[in-house]
Amino acid sequence: MTTIAADAHAHDHHDADHKPAFFARWFMSTNHKDIGTLYLIFAIIAGVIGGFISGLMRIELAEPGIQYLQTWAQIMDGPDATLDQAYHLWNVLITAHGLIMVFFMVMPAIIGGFGNWFVPIMIGAPDMAFPRMNNISFWLLIPAFMLLLGSTFVPGGLGNGAGTGWTVYAPLSTSGSPGPAVDMAILSLHIAGASSILGAINFITTIFNMRAPGMTLHKMPLFVWSVLVTAFLLLLALPVLAAAITMLLTDRNFGTVFYDGLRGGDPELYQHLFWFFGHPEVYIMILPGFGIVSQIVSTFSRKPVFGYLGMAYAMVAIGVVGFIVWAHHMFTTGMSVNVKMYFTAATMVIAVPTGVKIFSWIATMWGGSLSFKTPMVWALGFIFMFTVGGVTGVVLANGGVDDVLHDTYYVVAHFHYVLSLGAVFALFAGFYYWFPKMTGRMYSELLGQLHFWIFFIGVNVLFFPMHFVGLSGMPRRYPDYPEAFAYWNSIASQGYNILIIGVAIWFVNIFWSLFAGKKAEGNPWGEGATTLEWTLSSPPPYHQFETLPVIEDAHH
Amino acid sequence: MTSSTFTDLDRRKRKTMMIGAAFALGSLGLGFASVPLYRVFCQVTGFNGTTQRADASAAVLPVSGRVLSIRFDANVSPGMPWEFYPEHSTDTVTVGARDMAIFVAKNLSDKPISGSAVFNVTPTQAGAYFTKIQCFCFTEQTLQPGQEVRMPVLYYVDPKILDDPDNKDVEEITLSYTFNPVEKVEE
Amino acid sequence: MNIIKSLVLAGLLAVAPSIAVSQGALAQEAAAPAAATVDSATEADANATEEAVAAPARMKPTEGIGMPRPAEFGLQEQFSPTGRQARWIHDALLLPIITVISLFVLALMLWIMVRYRRAANPVPSKTSHNTLIEIIWTVVPILILVVIAVPSIGLIAEQYKPAPKDALTVKVTGYQWYWGYEYPDQGISEYVSNILPPEKALENGEPNLLAVDNRLVLPAGRPVKLIITAADVIHSFAVPSLWFKMDAVPGRLNEKTVTIEKPGVYYGQCSELCGVKHGFMPIAIEALPPAEFDQWVLSQGGELAGEQAEAPAEAAAETADAAPAANAKI
Repeated sequence: MTTIAADAHAHDHHDADHKPAFFARWFMSTNHKDIGTLYLIFAIIAGVIGGFISGLMRIELAEPGIQYLQTWAQIMDGPDATLDQAYHLWNVLITAHGLIMVFFMVMPAIIGGFGNWFVPIMIGAPDMAFPRMNNISFWLLIPAFMLLLGSTFVPGGLGNGAGTGWTVYAPLSTSGSPGPAVDMAILSLHIAGASSILGAINFITTIFNMRAPGMTLHKMPLFVWSVLVTAFLLLLALPVLAAAITMLLTDRNFGTVFYDGLRGGDPELYQHLFWFFGHPEVYIMILPGFGIVSQIVSTFSRKPVFGYLGMAYAMVAIGVVGFIVWAHHMFTTGMSVNVKMYFTAATMVIAVPTGVKIFSWIATMWGGSLSFKTPMVWALGFIFMFTVGGVTGVVLANGGVDDVLHDTYYVVAHFHYVLSLGAVFALFAGFYYWFPKMTGRMYSELLGQLHFWIFFIGVNVLFFPMHFVGLSGMPRRYPDYPEAFAYWNSIASQGYNILIIGVAIWFVNIFWSLFAGKKAEGNPWGEGATTLEWTLSSPPPYHQFETLPVIEDAHH
Repeated sequence: MTSSTFTDLDRRKRKTMMIGAAFALGSLGLGFASVPLYRVFCQVTGFNGTTQRADASAAVLPVSGRVLSIRFDANVSPGMPWEFYPEHSTDTVTVGARDMAIFVAKNLSDKPISGSAVFNVTPTQAGAYFTKIQCFCFTEQTLQPGQEVRMPVLYYVDPKILDDPDNKDVEEITLSYTFNPVEKVEE
Repeated sequence: MNIIKSLVLAGLLAVAPSIAVSQGALAQEAAAPAAATVDSATEADANATEEAVAAPARMKPTEGIGMPRPAEFGLQEQFSPTGRQARWIHDALLLPIITVISLFVLALMLWIMVRYRRAANPVPSKTSHNTLIEIIWTVVPILILVVIAVPSIGLIAEQYKPAPKDALTVKVTGYQWYWGYEYPDQGISEYVSNILPPEKALENGEPNLLAVDNRLVLPAGRPVKLIITAADVIHSFAVPSLWFKMDAVPGRLNEKTVTIEKPGVYYGQCSELCGVKHGFMPIAIEALPPAEFDQWVLSQGGELAGEQAEAPAEAAAETADAAPAANAKI
């Protein structure tokens, strides 16, 4: 199965592959692998910015009182920045952190990056269905990101930048935030959303039409399944967001009153629309992670995925149910009793397919022959941390219990366990798993393991105490807090310091490996790696599968 | 790859793309359509405490002995120079019987100001049964400088509320209004 | 007799509160630093000469009650029946279940990592199906969820129980960035509650960022219906030790009922992002024994007999007001 063109990468510089010249290759790229690489680089840059912002927040929150915020506000708003402008800057930071991590880090990395790189290869296709549309999808992200970053330098109320939270709730985002910053942030979301919708159409078309002969839907690797389900979620959820924020824009600028509760509109309508998008969005970020983890667990257990069909349809079920649970984000808005009961029950249902996935991963490993290479330890970390994040989700699903936990740090802890320890662990797992394939070099196993353990300890020290302050009532989005919350907050801030060392090691690993890493074989993972990308050279030829592979009946 | 399979593939791809784009557009349309749909949904189901409306000929019979307390709440949006309050903060009404509440509004400024009122009732599940026959909130109100008016609301509580288990223990329904200037107030 | 009473009440409603309350509210804060002794409370009374009744002395909070405790692991102690019920569901049901599930998954993983490591198990099995186990891990979670859902749905039903007849109604309005409290049946018009500066809070022996100048004063042991709205953007009125959180939405009224079981001071914080000082508009509830609450109402120029006056007021309204009112419509 392996090393079809084992020496192809040895001639990288000979243009044997008909690679275009530098500018045309990277700026007008239509090659799915190059676009995937661009997405990954973009996501890393955005992640560094978003992570830097969380660092600012953790420093400020390390002890009670306002220590640094005003100094930063003087940098952003000029030397005579007031305390109110400092508080505004805080809201800008939380908003930017959320938007950047969701729209410009996780989504581009996991769908744009790994999806672009490996979906076509895994189904035996030479490229994406619409290579030029793919190019547009990526390049739309750049102006979107520039608009978001630029919004922090223009007025958005008392200070510069959009301070509405990533949820951009009306009327704080309409009458509550004069100035162009919020308009720029909304436009940024429009463009990023358009990019994702184009990408989603591209993935769906690719997966439905370009599978190699014999690659039936029920033989597709689970990562492809996960991207397919995600693409449908994007296709159905993002336009609703687009509509919702378009109406925000017209409310802000053209005198409409869609969300103006005082003029016959309804601010709750915005929340319904936002979370109708926002809840599927959560699965958009995590489902491809499920796919990645399934591939890795199978590879390093040398076993086929346990309960393949159950795994695939569990994702479909999560996607479908994800559309009918949104109002659990709105339990305290004053909904009537039946609505609250319905959304409590519906939300808890999601735990069932999620449980199927976790137990299927465990069953995949059961009886396997496990090796604990870096991707595998990340995947194992993912499974456990996602379980922790999942069970706190079951707590929050209870509308009556949520009355005390809503908008507290318990929620922050919960969604960082599923995203920062879930989605991000899956990203790192995928990164190490496919690094040899993408670059042709092996990463340093030692640095990879070190990265995992330091990061693992860091994020847990950072986010686990948030459960405690959340339970005892600390609200989200506060730049300062009563003395009683100081203990756990200072520990959480220490966690950030640990985490950042892990990230530094990761960067060292990347650069060391790119220049000095051992050359990677086509399949460095051995017999457990059965998907098509491991049949190609590392890195794969610029144009793969000029003769389509034929998939024969294998396992399942 | 032969050219015939190529064009065949292109056709299939285009078809899938069109279907995908149709999904996305449909979803976008649904997003905008949610505005009227949501309004209709609230009006029909009383969702979010949206009150019902009936004309004067509506025939409902009082259910003797079933009495509810109705509380009246009045707000003025910030910056609007009106005074606005209910003449009585609470009232009792027999379920099914028509009743009238009076709200008083006064223009404290030296300019004529038009206002319109938004409203809801709590508990929200009572919205489906709280029916207005006549209300100052149905139309815009214009007050001359210094003018004070007493504005009636003619309403009844639909006897069907008695059959609704969700409203079994409701003792008091609060009717809340917020007055807003029709033209934005210069701040 | 009742009619006269209601007329008097109406008169008070119109005139008294706006004058008396602003002073009363001030008096509440004036009494604060010296709240501990009765003497100083009367002193404060002497300052506010126009008041017939002295406000009860400003209550001192009990350390760790109605506020977060340092380095606490769990939920705040609860002081309402639904709060205790909810806390029980969390502490006795949800927390054990999620802990056991997490540990179970962890134990399985650790066991697998030892037992099936490559050195111990060089030849992997090829098992990829087992219908029975797949059914089990679908059905067992469903059963667990049902176990959770039954009391959870019961809790929601309990929390939504409408206020009984004897409930006190207080109107809460969220502003950027303070709260306003109004007692419509007592004729106490809206007074404003702002955060206390740190040095003031320290002086009062209250937690910084939670202490306010004018607290929301409520009776203990009697159901209280809070009707909640906002004037500008969405706020959220939240008090963790009463298991209370309800959004304040402009142009719309929400209601929620709570019974505070014990006198005390209970702190909370705004819980919906509302702009720059979102973190600086705390909530403090002072729950007084019924007699002292009545005393407080009187000290604010309020009237105690709220409910009794209702019925005749209605009669008066209908006979006297209906006809001219209809004409008054524009």
